[in-house]
Amino acid sequence: MTFYTSFVYPAVLVACAMLVIVGTLVVITARIHRVLQWVVSGTYVIAALQGIMVIVGLVTSQMSSLPVALGYLIATLALLPLLGIARLGTPDAAAASGDPNHPVLAPDQIARVDGGAAIIVGIAMAVASWRITELIVVAS
Amino acid sequence: MNPIARLLLVVVYSVLGLASAGRATVQIAEKFHEAPVAYTVSAVSAVLYIVIAFALWRRWEKVALAGSAFELAGVLIVGTLGYVNSELWPDETVWTGYGSATAGCRWCCPSPPCSSW
Repeated sequence: MTFYTSFVYPAVLVACAMLVIVGTLVVITARIHRVLQWVVSGTYVIAALQGIMVIVGLVTSQMSSLPVALGYLIATLALLPLLGIARLGTPDAAAASGDPNHPVLAPDQIARVDGGAAIIVGIAMAVASWRITELIVVAS
Repeated sequence: MNPIARLLLVVVYSVLGLASAGRATVQIAEKFHEAPVAYTVSAVSAVLYIVIAFALWRRWEKVALAGSAFELAGVLIVGTLGYVNSELWPDETVWTGYGSATAGCRWCCPSPPCSSW
């Protein structure tokens, strides 16, 4: 678990901080949307690494709080699809859905929705990861 | 409604629903008999958040508005009762302390540093 607490967990926190910072910048100026997309891709990689490490840690240890830790891990992973929610508002997605109430976003609106979602998900993911780490530290 | 605000509210309520559902699931699965009313309120709030998120996505404005009004009433009633008559609530709900409850810390993390937040 030393690798997790000294490398993976800090990497997750850095990714969350980047989501919040770049997300805020994208809300202000939509031109750097591409940078946010890189950050989101990196977040997916780090979250996958975190998931693998936590599952390995849970399997190899005798944690009494295993269900809670797994719940936080599932919550962390469930947050990830929200990072790209603006893709559902593209004209193509709206046309494909056939729903007259489907939101249709302009390119700058797509960027700002992604930026706002990145801020929210970054904060929520940091909290969930912090709780996972506390459970692991207490168990080990 | 502004489409940016609408989608961001969907994100916000999805996160709230996820958090509340997780909390209610653990509370009900592990110790429902200790505070059935409080944990039922947590479960109701989780369902409510998910319904509001879905209603915002589908643009069911009346459902979203009614859900938000119900949420406001729940936060005010449960929050006030928590201060006025705390004996009603053996444990905290999502809406205890007007939404600032930290009871989750007690049941999932027994370490001393955790009890201070």
